[in-house]
Amino acid sequence: MDIRKLALIGALAVASLSTLWTSARAEEVKITVWSLDRDIQPAPNLIKDFNNLKTGITVEYRQIQFDDVVSEAMRAYSTGQAPDIIAVDNPEHVLFSSRGAFLDLTDMIAQSSVIKPDNYYPGPLKSVMWKERYFGVPKATNTIALYYNKDMFRAKGLDPDKPPQTWDDLVDTARKLSDPAKNVYGITFSAKANEEGTFQFLPWAQMGGGGYDKINAPGAVKALEIWKTIIDEKLASRDTLTRSQWDSTGTFNSGNAAMAISGPWELDRMVKEAKFDWGVALLPLPETGSKRSSAMGDFNWAIFSKTQHPKEAFKVLEYFVSQDNRMFKDFGQLPARSDLAIPSTGQPLKDAALKVFQEQLQYAQPRGPHPAWPKISKAIQDAIQAALTGQMSPKEALDQADQKIKAVLG
Amino acid sequence: MKRLLLSVSDGRGFDIALVSVPLIFLFTMAGLPLVYNIVMSFQEVDMFSLGTIFRPFVGLKNYTTLFSMPETWPILKNTALFVIASIAGQFIIGFALALFFWTNFPGASWMRGLFLVSWVMPGLVVGAIWNWILSGDFGVLNYLLRESGLITGHIFWRSDPDFSLWAVVIANIWLGISFNMILLSVGLSTIPQDLYEAAELDGANVIQRFFTITLPMMRSTIGAIISLGLIFTLQQFDLFAAITAGGPNNSSNVAQYWAWDLSFRQYDFAQGATISVIMIVFVMIASVVYVRSTRHEVRG
Repeated sequence: MDIRKLALIGALAVASLSTLWTSARAEEVKITVWSLDRDIQPAPNLIKDFNNLKTGITVEYRQIQFDDVVSEAMRAYSTGQAPDIIAVDNPEHVLFSSRGAFLDLTDMIAQSSVIKPDNYYPGPLKSVMWKERYFGVPKATNTIALYYNKDMFRAKGLDPDKPPQTWDDLVDTARKLSDPAKNVYGITFSAKANEEGTFQFLPWAQMGGGGYDKINAPGAVKALEIWKTIIDEKLASRDTLTRSQWDSTGTFNSGNAAMAISGPWELDRMVKEAKFDWGVALLPLPETGSKRSSAMGDFNWAIFSKTQHPKEAFKVLEYFVSQDNRMFKDFGQLPARSDLAIPSTGQPLKDAALKVFQEQLQYAQPRGPHPAWPKISKAIQDAIQAALTGQMSPKEALDQADQKIKAVLG
Repeated sequence: MKRLLLSVSDGRGFDIALVSVPLIFLFTMAGLPLVYNIVMSFQEVDMFSLGTIFRPFVGLKNYTTLFSMPETWPILKNTALFVIASIAGQFIIGFALALFFWTNFPGASWMRGLFLVSWVMPGLVVGAIWNWILSGDFGVLNYLLRESGLITGHIFWRSDPDFSLWAVVIANIWLGISFNMILLSVGLSTIPQDLYEAAELDGANVIQRFFTITLPMMRSTIGAIISLGLIFTLQQFDLFAAITAGGPNNSSNVAQYWAWDLSFRQYDFAQGATISVIMIVFVMIASVVYVRSTRHEVRG
């Protein structure tokens, strides 16, 4: 209560000072932008370039920490101190749009010559939508695919150009590649009890014909059974249950796992650390010919509904979007757009990997969108963990998750 | 009027004025947040009503939902296990070390000081180090156990539901030993030496001296340490965040971590506040024990 009050007084003081400041130079419109980008990432750099254009709009930037994005934004919104523009993680976007905290951009997008919905991958685009209206613009995107160690494939007599295509294939390959004597696991991924676990499991459930709203579909149960086989047969480390994707893929880079499921954010580190020939493949399917699916990560831009300058804020967003072609080259992030060709990086392994990720992105599905996504995600994480620790069968665990999710969905 | 003035300058009024300063401080810094938390546990709170204080009143609904959740009882049981095991471990090892250093061999006080290093380190750093020690495939602890022939396979300390809570307990015991040791050393040094000399002349052996002199003389110190230990272990959050994150499948989840998870990961602030209120009750009991045991302290 006390800290809250102090913060409020402080914020008020800052706000009154800044209103004085803006009224002193009334012709300039000031737009504030919050995101988690550090100095080598897009937002601060794009803002610097935008301010240099002298358009009569000045953008001020504030960096917030990943864990604080939602709580900071909520606090700011409920005390009337919200910024004009914010970047939020895509599963949390609808939490704000469904409560009217974000501005409906549909009409402005319809008139815009820069932001065109058709240019975007369907997954990221769906994550900014609520009730068929646009409440934001995808900032960047990512997805997951299967990394594999080609040298280990060769050593075990497998064809390095034929990565596993189906789930059974994947388990078989993992069995062949796993080598406990040399401390090599067949595969590594993350089933951690946070959003990462959901992020990794949901694509499997979707490929099996399930989804967050029918998490106990037979295909999803099969998926969890496959995961359980992998853990029970020690084809992946038991620490998969508590390890993040980044740490898990670290064991792949050091040669302690022959395959890894993770996203393009691993590429730069892998190019540097992995002392072997590797490749990336699309996620294996339940059986040949099944529908593909994948996870979708990264952030979206949105404008707060309480902004004083919606038009100017939208202009800033248009500028960000116009710079999307620099995203990969300058900042190593994938734009959420299918109309942009990504130029070569000069790293053959990285370029080949990118092609796969771009194809995988076609099938990327957002988590949700649903205003109570964290609760849905928690139910899924609990099910994964209950099944993998052997406390429940995959079917029981997912049935229970389904009940919990149905209660949230109402 | 004159009496009132006199009382303010030198008398009851003066005492009250002096006492009121820390009381006001305590009330604004600790009392208000506490009350706010309790109020929140009876309200319906979501992210967008966080900034206000007048929110829909829901009575005991938060409490009934909490106790109808399947994970509630296992988590409360984990909390009790964690607290008891941590305090027992910290206290017994801490006491043993304190007695050891009490013998005052050369360099004893110097080494005792070094032990404080573990207490000074931030919990997240300690967690990160233990994370590495306890890791299943390449962990140091597994290596030591395997080399000494105690185990044959790997123990997945962090990921096996049978071990995950104990993994955090081990790290927490390590973290708390030095604090217990220092406080107990202080307690030991206040025991007059002549008591031991007299007992020795009467023919009491080491064990008898320990149980008839040391333990009774340390009563208030021990009471204080155990209640402080209860408060510290109930506050222990960093280690859970760093080592197991409450997993797998809540097998190492405890009330304090769960309250944070509900509030800031699932944005269910009311439910988080409800758990905190339940914990406040336990900490209150510990505080009463603490205050009572220090009240009897003999100051030489």
